Amino acid sequence: MLTYALRRLLTTIPVLWVAITACFFILRLAPGGPFDGERPLPDAIRQNLAAHYNLDRSLVEQYLIYLGKLLKGDLGPSFINQDFTVVEQLMIGLPYTLTVGGTAFLLSIVAGISAGILGYMYRNSFPDYLLGIVVLTGLVLPNFLLAPIFQLIFGLKLEWLPVGGWGGGAAVNIVLPVVVLALPHVARISRLTRASMIEVMHSHYIRTARSRGLSKASIIWRHALKPTLTPVVSYLGPAAGFLLTGSLVVETIFGLPGIGRYFINAALNRDYGMVLGTVIFYMILIVVLNLVVDVLYAWLDPRVRST
Amino acid sequence: MSDVKRPVLDVRNLHVRFRTSDGIVEAVRGINASVGAGECLGVVGESGSGKSQSFLAILGLLAGNAEVSGRVDFTGTSLLDLSETALNRLRGSRLAMIFQDPLTGLTPHVSIGRQMREIVQTHLHHSVRDADRLCLDWLDKVRIPEAAHRLTQYPHELSGGMRQRVMIAMAMLCEPVLLIADEPTTALDVTIQADILDLMDDLRREHGTALVLITHDMGVVARMCDRVHVMRDGEYVEEGSCEDVFYRAKHDYTKMLLEAVPRIILTGHPAGDVSTGQPMPVKTVLQVRNLCVSYPMQRIWFNRRRELRAVEDIGFDLHAGETLGVVGESGCGKSTLARAILQLIEPSSGSVKLLGHELTTLDKQGLKNFRQQAQIVFQDPLASLDPSMTIGDSIQEPLRVFEPGLHRSVRTRRLAEMMERVGLSWSLVNRYPHELSGGQNQRVGIARAMISMPRLLICDEAVSALDVSIQAQIMDLLRDLQREFGLSLIFISHDLSVIWKLSDRILVMYLGSVVELASRDALFNRPQHPYTQQLVSAVPVPDPQVERKRHRIKLQGELSSPMDAGARLRFLPSRRTQLATDYVPQLNERFPGHFVAEHDPLEQLLV
Repeated sequence: MLTYALRRLLTTIPVLWVAITACFFILRLAPGGPFDGERPLPDAIRQNLAAHYNLDRSLVEQYLIYLGKLLKGDLGPSFINQDFTVVEQLMIGLPYTLTVGGTAFLLSIVAGISAGILGYMYRNSFPDYLLGIVVLTGLVLPNFLLAPIFQLIFGLKLEWLPVGGWGGGAAVNIVLPVVVLALPHVARISRLTRASMIEVMHSHYIRTARSRGLSKASIIWRHALKPTLTPVVSYLGPAAGFLLTGSLVVETIFGLPGIGRYFINAALNRDYGMVLGTVIFYMILIVVLNLVVDVLYAWLDPRVRST
Repeated sequence: MSDVKRPVLDVRNLHVRFRTSDGIVEAVRGINASVGAGECLGVVGESGSGKSQSFLAILGLLAGNAEVSGRVDFTGTSLLDLSETALNRLRGSRLAMIFQDPLTGLTPHVSIGRQMREIVQTHLHHSVRDADRLCLDWLDKVRIPEAAHRLTQYPHELSGGMRQRVMIAMAMLCEPVLLIADEPTTALDVTIQADILDLMDDLRREHGTALVLITHDMGVVARMCDRVHVMRDGEYVEEGSCEDVFYRAKHDYTKMLLEAVPRIILTGHPAGDVSTGQPMPVKTVLQVRNLCVSYPMQRIWFNRRRELRAVEDIGFDLHAGETLGVVGESGCGKSTLARAILQLIEPSSGSVKLLGHELTTLDKQGLKNFRQQAQIVFQDPLASLDPSMTIGDSIQEPLRVFEPGLHRSVRTRRLAEMMERVGLSWSLVNRYPHELSGGQNQRVGIARAMISMPRLLICDEAVSALDVSIQAQIMDLLRDLQREFGLSLIFISHDLSVIWKLSDRILVMYLGSVVELASRDALFNRPQHPYTQQLVSAVPVPDPQVERKRHRIKLQGELSSPMDAGARLRFLPSRRTQLATDYVPQLNERFPGHFVAEHDPLEQLLV
């Protein structure tokens, strides 16, 4: 098991390297640079700035310098907010993003699986149809549309929840962003769970379990749940990725001080250091989450463990 | 016959109907059956006859669209009137069932121990320690070695035979009064089948359990059952004592079933009937020498890379018009051998010559030309046909490949001839494989293989998935085709009676190597190698008197893993002790044309 996890970890290193390299060069291919404003800067200042950030060297040299620093955990300086390094800025935004993203992830899993099992147990009857409708809403409405609708209903009309802002981390403030972020994933996970459980309950070992006189609850709980979750778990890795990209939009709409906002600003301003830093951070997070998913997979299915 | 007692299970006028999108399908139409304590009732029939459905219905295990009616009395309780909860109290405790496929029949995600303990705790309310002791007890009784260790293992870590024993142990945990076994040995090799049947017979005797055995295998019935019901299209067409059904069958369907089963007839003379010897002159079609196939296994960290030696040093000649039967248990490398001969997988070493041409060194174009001469028919007729092609297109595809210049009208003519030859009506030409029966699909597979007029045809378990009556038809077809085209056949099967019916010579494989190679009559009448002797003695014979008097040879150990180097020396333990686990038993010609691998005397290998 440990060997398995370690081996998976080692294989992610080349993946990270390819992704970093691709990001680095694509970003530089885009026209414009961090110091191209409305008014062009005087040449002398421009040259000084370029020299300071190594922008006067060849692209390959810049790339090698960047990689060298990266190995020491240094994501370099921000090109726009000169007072902060990229790492410092990320650390400021991180707690907010992780709180909202993590809560949404947990909510997706718990609510999604529960709704899926309920959907199975009441399949093709009223509760299943109701869940189906809620789920479909979550799937068809994009978050940039869902967020303002929720803000209007729960913030302005009903005045139950604040429309936006962090509010010192009060629970009421994060309810709306978390729900908006999680809803599409609750939807997908619940549909996956329901379909998977229907299939599992038709399998031969469930028939064996029934022939042994086990109660329905213990059949679902002990014999059907783990195999049911296998496809669900495969979805969790990509879901974590969607959650993070979704959080960029949602943080901006709800005015949360997470790293999403920095990322969008940085991209608009061609802040090479900041954009790359955020991308790398997200990548590591996604890779780690996928690793967790793989380990979870092995825990769920003993047949994966032994290979 | 057992004395008249109150039956444990009494079924009256049982009907099972399924509501489907095509309307109501009547699967079981009013059957009556009863079985008493310590008695074994056999229910035989071909696939789709409703034999499984009727007993699943009794246990309330059918899908939601099933409607069950009739009266089922189980020791005084009317089963069909019970609620799910009340039924759950009986299922698994007083009334248990064993299913066909022990791999899919056990939950793969739960350890053996937990699956067994759960049953004990549900029905007997034992403490964990008592439950564990009971489980160990039963694992011992079904003769599973290292029982304590097995409890921590998962189903996929056990062999097929072991899994079926676990399945039986699970069913027996609460000592049921009725055990229903649905094709309990169909997925198993003959020697393991013999063990499992013995085991069930012992349990029936010792515990007085009433046994219902659902099977398609007349040999199994002959061996086990007191009374037999023959089922067809949802009805019992014949019922009676085992002897009545086998020796005095009244219904035509029963007679047909019994005739369709290939029977091994032992003459006692190893030379066999001399007049049916090989036709002269003998022309060698295929020559295989020292053929080896090995697969690299995944390396774990820095361990030495290991190899799985799937086929090891196999050599034989095949003459024109001859059939070589290849027999062995699952995992012994039969299919790998077939694929290596056809160069579908690359042999690691050795030589394969077809009509004098070496195949192992051929390039792509050369291989393509050779494939016209050598074709294969696979086991699963449906899975080996392209589902998106009509059967007409499937059958004529080889013509497009091998004779691309052929005019359309010629191709159609040859297609029509071939379809007629294999017994397929021309009206089926535009059908798709899923619209055909298994037997029809296998005819398509044979037609596709034969249309390019090959000299060599390999049949890899080509009749194993078919019902006996269809099996007999396909075997007759193969024999006719062989006679007509002078075809050389390699017929691979785990089923000795099928091999007996078709083969001139037989090659017995064990873990990738040849243990015995001889003419059919020599091999069956005078088997030399202990492994062959064990196989021959384990084949069920569809004759109750013969079957019950037979002496079975039981050797030590189960089929071992091909990864285990020492397993090769299972029949030569005297060599194993000499630190030489690499030793490969040599093949010697003990009688003219009769080759036997080295082995220790039989007495030293018996259990």
